[in-house]
Amino acid sequence: MKDEPAVEFRSISKSFGATVALADVSLTIERGNVHALVGENGAGKSTLGKILAGIIPPDSGELMLAGRAESFGSPRQALSAGVTMIAQELSLVPGRSVIENVFLGIEPHIGPFVRRREIRQRFDELVARSGIEVPAHAAVGELRIGEQQKVEILRALARDARIIVMDEPTARLSLSETQTLLETIRQLSAAGTTIIFVSHFLEEVLEVADHVTIMRDARVIRTGPAAGETRDSLIEGMTGRPLDAMFPPRATVSGDAADVLRVQGLEREGAFTDISLTVRAGEIVVLSGLVGSGRSEVMQAIYGGTPADRGSLTLAGETYRPKNVRAALRRGIAMIPESRKDLGLILQRSVADNITLPYLKETERAGLISRRKEDALASERMSRVGVKAQSPEVEVVTLSGGNQQKVLFARSLVRTPVLLLADEPTRGVDVGAKRSIYDLITDLAREGMGVLVVSSEIEEVMGLAHRILVMHQGRIVAEFDGHTAEEEAVIAAAFGPVGATT
Amino acid sequence: MSVNITADATPARRSWVFYLTNYGIVWLTLALFLLLAVTTPNFVSPDNFRNILDQQAIVLIVAVFVTMLLISGNFDISVGAIYTLVPLVALRIFDASDSLILFVLVGLIGGFVAGLFNGAIVTKGRINSFVATLATALVFFGLAYMVTGGTILRLSDLDVRALVTTRILGITSATWIALIVVVIAWVMLERTRFGRYVFAIGGNREAARLAGVPVDRVILFVFILVGMSAGLAGTMNTARTLTAQASDDFSLVFTVIAAVVVGGTSIMGGFGAIWRTVIGVFFIAMLGNGFNLNGIDPVVQRIIQGLVILAAVGLDAWTRSRRSP
Repeated sequence: MKDEPAVEFRSISKSFGATVALADVSLTIERGNVHALVGENGAGKSTLGKILAGIIPPDSGELMLAGRAESFGSPRQALSAGVTMIAQELSLVPGRSVIENVFLGIEPHIGPFVRRREIRQRFDELVARSGIEVPAHAAVGELRIGEQQKVEILRALARDARIIVMDEPTARLSLSETQTLLETIRQLSAAGTTIIFVSHFLEEVLEVADHVTIMRDARVIRTGPAAGETRDSLIEGMTGRPLDAMFPPRATVSGDAADVLRVQGLEREGAFTDISLTVRAGEIVVLSGLVGSGRSEVMQAIYGGTPADRGSLTLAGETYRPKNVRAALRRGIAMIPESRKDLGLILQRSVADNITLPYLKETERAGLISRRKEDALASERMSRVGVKAQSPEVEVVTLSGGNQQKVLFARSLVRTPVLLLADEPTRGVDVGAKRSIYDLITDLAREGMGVLVVSSEIEEVMGLAHRILVMHQGRIVAEFDGHTAEEEAVIAAAFGPVGATT
Repeated sequence: MSVNITADATPARRSWVFYLTNYGIVWLTLALFLLLAVTTPNFVSPDNFRNILDQQAIVLIVAVFVTMLLISGNFDISVGAIYTLVPLVALRIFDASDSLILFVLVGLIGGFVAGLFNGAIVTKGRINSFVATLATALVFFGLAYMVTGGTILRLSDLDVRALVTTRILGITSATWIALIVVVIAWVMLERTRFGRYVFAIGGNREAARLAGVPVDRVILFVFILVGMSAGLAGTMNTARTLTAQASDDFSLVFTVIAAVVVGGTSIMGGFGAIWRTVIGVFFIAMLGNGFNLNGIDPVVQRIIQGLVILAAVGLDAWTRSRRSP
């Protein structure tokens, strides 16, 4: 019994229409292990997780749990066998308390009456056993995402889950929340729970996983102890090509390049204070810092999305008052917002619609939108940034994450902007698409555009920036030259004011 | 039926399931048409078709703009109240002035003002449109009673009827007006910046705002269009019947929303089309017409109509869940 692996996939295959998601995949996962699945988007890792959790059935092959063949018809059946999945989108009831959410649907009761004391007792036991602490009576909707995720995990444990699939659990977490989650995962695994950890973030994978399986094109490339892998070896395995530099070479900013953007004493109550910065033509400036340090808010203030209370701005040498988004667009500013699904795209509309939305005037003929003109415009920008889609008329929701992100870039280039703002431009995008986005940003800067980037990924900050500005609690606390900055120094600055700038 | 081509060679791989579900209402309407044509003797006749068109003119005029409103993610419960109130005012003005032009103009302007009122409350007041227009509906109904003092107002001038009953090329002027309004709404929604903004706001309001869409202005304008269409429709109805009275009749809202939803426009916003609503209106109209010609009890008619709407909305939910796996 002890020696039986927790999970064994035997020759599992799965197709969606003409797309093969899994081709004859065999994989063994040991009990109590943290087993990471890595791969580019579409490699099949989420599909594998969903088959294990009973969300989708395999076309062929066998799934063994602790040596027994299982075939789950629903997530419910999987759960009764001790398997559950925590998806990217959490499924909690925001208005109710933590404890109610944890025991939702499995409340101990007498007739219609819930036994509150017993629930409380079981909750405390659960917390003691798992080491996951969440305030029992707080409303879930008021908790931060990281806390909400803990509630999801408690909920899984309350249902006696022995195997938990986590699909990109850290994608929406801040650095510190991520650290707490990884700690929780370690505790769970120490207590005997098997974790399947699907993630894009390779550092986390290397930090937390016992074993790593690399997937590419619906197949397993290799499985081995995480200790035997490095970031570079994982990327090579995922992309199937030797790792060149992740980043294109930086273009030089000429010494007499003009300031595109100058910001003086920008302030918004409760968000940021005394922000002064400049972006020169051809320069890539990266705003770094922890999530919540005010980076996105500064960017939104420059873009007019949420205007600042005070401060003065100059754009291309002239006074600029960003009182709303339209003012920014008129002055030649374009923005790639933080979350493409929530803030960027109209998902069920076509690619062309999404590209031309801010600039529909360009598609008009005699006051009416000309489809032909619009498609021509969209196609031209799509090929310029490398959007892969069957046609400009397909719904944007059908594209991969990387292509969706490129649609936003295509939009920002409808009129060549003087200043490009990009908030987390490669969030949730696979390795291959990342490189092409970096190439694009670098090329745009080389052509003379000023670029201001917000990024939480330290490699991105180090690899892309001409200049790095670090924010902490609403203030810029440090500035570094992108060529000479030390990674540790940038990270340290994000965690607290260091005073001195280099 | 469409042919099931699944070969990879087809550029946009759209299966028969797509055509079946996405255009479900079209097949249903065709099937109903054929069924009635075969089973009901008087169904296929120029007079019957003319009648259906004439009767649906008023619903169509309101429904196409309510479609826009639903696509933008908003709702208007007060269209029935505007439809009741505005012609009362127009009729009073007509009595005082004896001017046909004023009669029509007041119908449109009254609708404009009511729509502006609704739109301002929703956009400036940040009140959910369903609740806001439920409240304004009560206000409008109350105002209607104040205008009439509880009596039925009658038009003495029979010339007014000609506004909606004149035959042009075989069909009534009411039908022509509806036709023009439908074309205007269709062009606005599909071929103008405004129309794109309506879809964008309903699809993802915050993303639309960050793309530079003037969200509040667009929503305000849609409410005004809905108000004007309800005012126009009410005025046309009064011109036809030569009477107007205050009431608390919400039934127009339900008829209109039923048609829009049966056509397949989503009440969640972001998805829909004018042609869908036109088909939805005629589907429900043909259903009623078929019942009447076959002498089916009106009570049973209502129940069946209710079930049909449920089925249509259920189909919509089902296809949506299929579209996003």
